[in-house]
Amino acid sequence: MTTTTPNTSHETEASRADEPLLVVEDLAVEYESAGAVPWRRKVSRAIDGVSFEIFPGETLGLVGESGSGKSTTGRAILRLNDAAAGSIRFQGTEVTTLGRRTPLSYRRDVQAIFQDPNSSLNPRHVVGRCVDDTLRTHGVTDPGERRARAEQAFDQVGLSTDHMHRFPAELSGGQQQRVAIARALVLEPKLVVCDEAVSALDLSTQGQIINLLADLQAITGVSYLFIAHDLGIVRHISDRIAVMQRGHLVEIGEAEELFTNPQHAYTRKLLGASPASKPEGRDERRARREAFRQMHEAETQLA
Amino acid sequence: MTDTYSINLTRAPKPEKGTKSPSSAKRIFDRVRRQPLTVAAFFVIVFLALVAIFAPLIAPYDPNQSDYSTLLSGPTSAHWLGTNDLGQDELSRLLYGTRVALVVALGSVLIAAMLGVPIGLLLGYRGGWTDRLGSRLVDVAQALPGILVALAVIAILGRSLWTLMFAIGLIFTMGFARLTRAVTLTERHKLYVESAHVVGMKERVIIFRQVLPNLVGPIIIQAAVFFGSAIMIESGLSFLGVGLDRDTPTWGGMLSGAVEHQAQQPFLAFAPGIAIIITVLAFNLFGDGLNDAITGGVRKSPRKKLTTAELPGMSNAPTASAATLPGQTYSMGAQDAATAAPDATSPWDSRADEIRTPTGATETLPDPVEGAVLDVRGLSVSLERPEGDVVPLVSGANLSIEPGEIVGLLGESGSGKSMFAKAVMGLLPPRTRLSAGSIMFDGDQIAFQSQRALRAVRGAGIGVVFQDPLSALSPVHTVGKQLIEPLREHKGMSVAEAKERAVELLDRVGVTEARSRLDHYPHQFSGGMAQRVAIAMALAADPKLLIADEATSALDVTTQAQVLDLILDLRDEYGMGVLLITHDLGVVAETCDRAAIMYAGEIVEVGTTTDLFHAPRHPYTSALLAANPASDAQVDRLPTISGRVPLAGEWPVGCHFANRCAFATEACTSAPVPIVDQVRCVRADELTLEAVPR
Ligand SMILES: Nc1ncnc2c1ncn2[C@@H]1O[C@H](COP(=O)(O)OP(=O)(O)OP(=O)(O)O)[C@@H](O)[C@H]1O
Ligand code: SF4
Ligand SMILES: [Mg+2]
Repeated sequence: MTTTTPNTSHETEASRADEPLLVVEDLAVEYESAGAVPWRRKVSRAIDGVSFEIFPGETLGLVGESGSGKSTTGRAILRLNDAAAGSIRFQGTEVTTLGRRTPLSYRRDVQAIFQDPNSSLNPRHVVGRCVDDTLRTHGVTDPGERRARAEQAFDQVGLSTDHMHRFPAELSGGQQQRVAIARALVLEPKLVVCDEAVSALDLSTQGQIINLLADLQAITGVSYLFIAHDLGIVRHISDRIAVMQRGHLVEIGEAEELFTNPQHAYTRKLLGASPASKPEGRDERRARREAFRQMHEAETQLA
Repeated sequence: MTDTYSINLTRAPKPEKGTKSPSSAKRIFDRVRRQPLTVAAFFVIVFLALVAIFAPLIAPYDPNQSDYSTLLSGPTSAHWLGTNDLGQDELSRLLYGTRVALVVALGSVLIAAMLGVPIGLLLGYRGGWTDRLGSRLVDVAQALPGILVALAVIAILGRSLWTLMFAIGLIFTMGFARLTRAVTLTERHKLYVESAHVVGMKERVIIFRQVLPNLVGPIIIQAAVFFGSAIMIESGLSFLGVGLDRDTPTWGGMLSGAVEHQAQQPFLAFAPGIAIIITVLAFNLFGDGLNDAITGGVRKSPRKKLTTAELPGMSNAPTASAATLPGQTYSMGAQDAATAAPDATSPWDSRADEIRTPTGATETLPDPVEGAVLDVRGLSVSLERPEGDVVPLVSGANLSIEPGEIVGLLGESGSGKSMFAKAVMGLLPPRTRLSAGSIMFDGDQIAFQSQRALRAVRGAGIGVVFQDPLSALSPVHTVGKQLIEPLREHKGMSVAEAKERAVELLDRVGVTEARSRLDHYPHQFSGGMAQRVAIAMALAADPKLLIADEATSALDVTTQAQVLDLILDLRDEYGMGVLLITHDLGVVAETCDRAAIMYAGEIVEVGTTTDLFHAPRHPYTSALLAANPASDAQVDRLPTISGRVPLAGEWPVGCHFANRCAFATEACTSAPVPIVDQVRCVRADELTLEAVPR
């Protein structure tokens, strides 16, 4: 179901001719359920048969209800979960078979921004240090160079050097998320997995972070896998959108196309469920949801 | 050896150094300062340390110098605490004994930490098989009686200071290992650890440089407590004669000598006994106090009890309360009962028409709303910080809800919307209190009422649903039990009746196979289903008012839509009023009849949903609508609101939104802005604000 029609967005138009940056094919991830003794543990597939591509400079939105496997997909790409089957190829290199220790080059190219900005920063370190540690890990040994690059990164995300000496608890949620973005982008990655990167933020801050992500993309040409349950935000930021349901990818397509002309029934349900931004027509929307529900109930009763 | 003693000992009394960030260290220091017992314990510890260091200077005699002319003398002017059977001065031995006690305690705790912490880190971080096997071993090791372990070690290695420290250290090693493992287990799954992986850090670096600093707090608290125990064990071993040799003065050795010669000189046991008790107590109290300060626990806070007399407006005479509620005194009896007189015990005179908010504005209160299920006027909530200052959290909020009406309360985090709801429910958390206001529920005044009176009202008339359904449900009882019990209590139903009703309710909220699910525990329900159960519980009381505090925020869009539809259906069916607290504009757009917008503790605008979305009158409302990323309008850049919300305690005198408002003028910042005609903006009438296009 993967679409290959060219994107209308200007940055990606040219790049679409390129090779895809990331190719995920038939990916499956399994979790072991907790049990007191080994033989009581069961293995269940959280995602199965997931395939998509991400092109350079593109934002792919990933939506779906809770537990549908969005985060699991992102975590597999980040190698925080092992793949049980399928392949993930980044710039042509197979990632799933890399072994226990992930090469630093992959770590440099693929970064993450997580949902909870507060817990994604070490509470005991001043935030400047988390950028500094990142650079140090990647072999920037000269402290002066590290400081200069950290300052530049902070500046890019709209923070001052003064912020570098603060602890996470002394920053607002939006500022913390900016630090997380600075950490992710200081290595100049090619792909950033944003797992609910703005969901924990206040409305007035969400917009700032989204604008920031878009600006940084325009400058650096980074690609995003943008995971969120809020369709409005995904629509705003994504070039293409993939929809997941119960561990499977059910639809993928150009953002506007998917919103205006959803193909899969589940996508339609998801769209119907997401709150509109204005009150007009809410009674009709409620009636439609009700009809949908009754139809669904009738179906399950038949089955 | 003496030198090392003093170096180590000077470090002992200040273990809290460097455990937290400078600012939090200061916060902890402030909290510790407010705990008299902890401060006292700290000074005792400092005193002991000084005694240990300067023992040679302050001791009147050499502790081993025997004066055979006075054996077992009892207190005399030459020997204040008497002499022992060798004629040695007890006071000098006691002072030197402090050295041994502290050095051994410090040494053993350090050894225990150096062994135990890495073990715990490894087990907790690795998890899996390593952890399962290792934890069992640790458990077994900890089950061995400590004294026996120590005796065995001393028997094998012989008597010496180092052996003693090592032997006692071993006893605590497992304690440290378990604590460290437990904390590491929770830290391991935090996002900052995953972020460190993603950045490419090595495991060793992550364990020692990322995780370990987060364990320092709990480890230090544990160390302070172990310190006390170590002194006990050291004394015990010395008492048994297996500690240090007799020439070294120790408290335990002194005690054992005292017991030997109890018949001749009963006084000897007092000094070492008291020294041991005081030292152990000091370390335990200090450890506990530090723990409270770090975790923010409240223990014997100097918080004043709220007596009726202190509450503003509680008495009907124009006393001190008049200052808080000027309007009340003016109107006392001045007007005739134009409105129905409230409950005679009501602290609030419904004829009051003005109120002074905590920020100092004198506001005209709206008229009481006839027939409303909930009519809140001039509600203010304040918080007493552990540091002692009182800060307002909600200030002068007015809101009414009619039967069958869904009213939204929209605000960003920290704006005070949950505090508003908690005040209405009479469930304000510790240290926060209602500082002014009237809350009429279905014609009854419920502000400033006793908990008992409130419980009756709440149980019978107000249903509540919170963000986390599992927090509202008890994990140890079945859902059936939790539904049936309140039905029997509040409605006087029989078990069978209550059960039928419970099934009906679950069925009504869309829990399938309701009857069989009565026997399930809350954790067996998915998030959305658990929220339905919580709603069923809220409905059990046939509430006139349902308060939903971020009830759908933790749910995904599909489930959120279902739960919101359920609330709409229930409203249509039962005609109850609903207070829907949310931070999501979409939720308001889809469900609310009216909504109040809250910003930094104040309600800044109230209006019908359509008006708010299409003709916002407050600049904040308009900015919020424009900033909504979910808006259908496709724009390249989202308009944003620059700056950030001022925190409670940092609110300006004038308009709270002034520092971010594009329309701010002189008048906005000079004086508190009252809410007039449902808007709290001095320029409301002259501004034409942006709205969502229809
Ligand atoms: N650590 C884990 N152990 C076992 N099962 C897990 C674990 N993490 C996730 N799962 C399961 O894997 C499936 C996919 O979960 P995942 O977290 O990827 O969903 P999601 O789409 O990100 O949901 P959400 O919107 O709630 O974040 C779910 O069934 C979930 O219960
Ligand atoms: S009072 Fe002034 S600063 Fe406040 S919202 Fe109105 S115009 Fe803006
Ligand atoms: Mg997720």
